[in-house]
Amino acid sequence: MNPEFNYIAPLNLNSALKILSASKSRAKILAGGTDIIPGFHIGSKRFSSTELLIDIKRIRGLDTIKEYKNFVEIGACVTFSQLSESEIIRKYFPLLAKAAETIGSVQIRNRATVVGNFVNNAPCADSVPPLLVYDAKIQIQSLNRKREISLQKFLIKSYTTALKKNEIVTKILIPKPEPELKGDFYKLGRRRAVAISRISLAVLMKTKNSLIEEIRIASGAVTPIGTRLYELEKFARGKAANSDTFKELSIQLGKKVLEITGLRWSSEYKLPVLQQTFYQLLEKVSRDEI
Amino acid sequence: MKSKSIKKVKVKFKLNGKELELETKPNKRLLDLLRDDLNLTGTKEGCSIGECGACTVIMNGKAVNSCLVLAGEINNSEIITIEGIAQNGNLHPLQENFLKYGAVQCGFCTPGMILSAYALLRVNPEPDEETIKEAIAGNLCRCTGYKQIIEAIKHSTKITDG
Ligand code: FES
Ligand code: FES
Repeated sequence: MNPEFNYIAPLNLNSALKILSASKSRAKILAGGTDIIPGFHIGSKRFSSTELLIDIKRIRGLDTIKEYKNFVEIGACVTFSQLSESEIIRKYFPLLAKAAETIGSVQIRNRATVVGNFVNNAPCADSVPPLLVYDAKIQIQSLNRKREISLQKFLIKSYTTALKKNEIVTKILIPKPEPELKGDFYKLGRRRAVAISRISLAVLMKTKNSLIEEIRIASGAVTPIGTRLYELEKFARGKAANSDTFKELSIQLGKKVLEITGLRWSSEYKLPVLQQTFYQLLEKVSRDEI
Repeated sequence: MKSKSIKKVKVKFKLNGKELELETKPNKRLLDLLRDDLNLTGTKEGCSIGECGACTVIMNGKAVNSCLVLAGEINNSEIITIEGIAQNGNLHPLQENFLKYGAVQCGFCTPGMILSAYALLRVNPEPDEETIKEAIAGNLCRCTGYKQIIEAIKHSTKITDG
């Protein structure tokens, strides 16, 4: 049974922000509800102090994907169904479209929002690795301030973000990548539908004269939070885009993940799978290039 | 202490073609509103956390889990439940075919399965098998092994209705 709470669906952002700041942290923002509603139901501690839900789905302008000259904007109420069906997303951010298709089931994708996927910073947020390799930024608003922050900086640690109690994430802003950046997203889940992902990886790479000119790598689920692997990227830049480099990168990735996570019971299984997956991903991406 | 200040939510929506207006508690799920308050028990409760699809209904043309929707969220929306797809006393072709192809055993998953298929056929009247599987991936069936269900849906394709 759900706990008792109040529900309000303001029609504009300003009133939502007013209600939020007046609520003194007893309010939670409701968008898709696919995390918070079952969370209530199972009595999750994350939501136990909630006395008010502020539904932001009636606020105009938050449910659209907009294309600008150099970037694309995804509103806070855009669902995964909208994302995977969007021509704009498919064209510029295929990894994100792919990740969106693998999330939950049709019913979940019809409700769950992209912003909601990372706003709680759960390790299994599948949309995070693609957003990270595309250098996504997010726009955050409070009553008296609007700010932008990179997603990587926003995600602090598991279930902790840079969002303040009086702030709402209003949109995601993603720069259009250079067309030469090719990549892929990989997810290994336990079960096809509704799989809460166990390993997810996103890679974007650009090669020139058989050298890796640019590479962006992000992992999710296998690390406690979705993260860009900057050191690994630095190591890879300028190296030959061949199997030897890819093998070396896979070994390095394993080390890096161990370093971040410490040994866990699942490492023995996860690590080789992760390394193999990553290797194949790099091979595949570099082949697509040629 | 908290409960004293709980304000009911007012919602206006269309349910199986009929306009409804009612007041309910804000923590009520659409699932409970349908089953307990409106006596539409065709919608089933399985897992209660969005994993089984037994509670599937159509909201504004899309399949959703009614265990993950709060009453307040349905304001101004259009909801279709399994009770609403038969026309003039005739079963919907999907319902006919579920019976004909043995896609119903215990029947617990059936309303949700049929509505997921219904949502698919509305936008894609000629889906291939992969698309059908994808559409019902969020609906678990513990009895049939899915084969008969997919058969039944396949035989219901090319049906365009309202
Ligand atoms: S009861 Fe809603 S998905 Fe299982
Ligand atoms: S017929 Fe029993 S669960 Fe599907």
